[in-house]
Amino acid sequence: MTLSEHKEFPVDSSSLKEIRSFAREVLAKDPMFQNSMDDVVLALAEAAQNIVKHAYSGQPTGDKMMVKIKFENNQLTIELFDKGSPAIPQNIKPRKLDDIKAGGLGTFFIGQIMDEVIFKTSATDWVNHLVLKKNY
Amino acid sequence: MSYKITEEGNVATVHLDGEIDMDVTEKAKEVIMPLIEAGKEVHLNLKEVQYMDSSGISVLIESHQKAAELGNKVILKEISKSVLKVIMMAKLEQILIIE
Repeated sequence: MTLSEHKEFPVDSSSLKEIRSFAREVLAKDPMFQNSMDDVVLALAEAAQNIVKHAYSGQPTGDKMMVKIKFENNQLTIELFDKGSPAIPQNIKPRKLDDIKAGGLGTFFIGQIMDEVIFKTSATDWVNHLVLKKNY
Repeated sequence: MSYKITEEGNVATVHLDGEIDMDVTEKAKEVIMPLIEAGKEVHLNLKEVQYMDSSGISVLIESHQKAAELGNKVILKEISKSVLKVIMMAKLEQILIIE
């Protein structure tokens, strides 16, 4: 089975629930994702949260972000696009596990769940383009 | 997210319900922190929490740390399967108090 769906959401923390619902709805179309759905939804939601929190510093905006979910050749690809401040990949680090603090966990979760995390410079109207891949 | 608080002696139990993400963490802190600051032993019942992300985990860490600072504790009770999975992914099951 192949999948390819995308949707835009307002850049706001109130969109996170809607983004999770969208992902669950798309992933529910293939029973292959049944066991990993919660993890994949968490990874996507953490990435979306990072856009709200870091690309826009939590500031209100009228901008939207786009989420694309694609599955082909046994690989799930989730792409997030936004127009916030350009991400500096070298500065995005998960927290160390023995450092018990609140920050950096989201990036750690994404790395635990997904097989590949790629920051791209978008050639389109978007500024940031994050690609998350998971092999099945 | 919704919540209910019950108190018995010095123990305040907060029953959280729903999904805990960045959008509701401030509300969760507003509920939990004053109880800790009032010197209560806080029990967080997470039976009805279906989803928790890193922001929710941050609330658990901050609550645990604040209580420890004040010589008290926050105990996590009846953790739902999905929340426990996230706590374990963060390797916090040895740090947070779970019963």
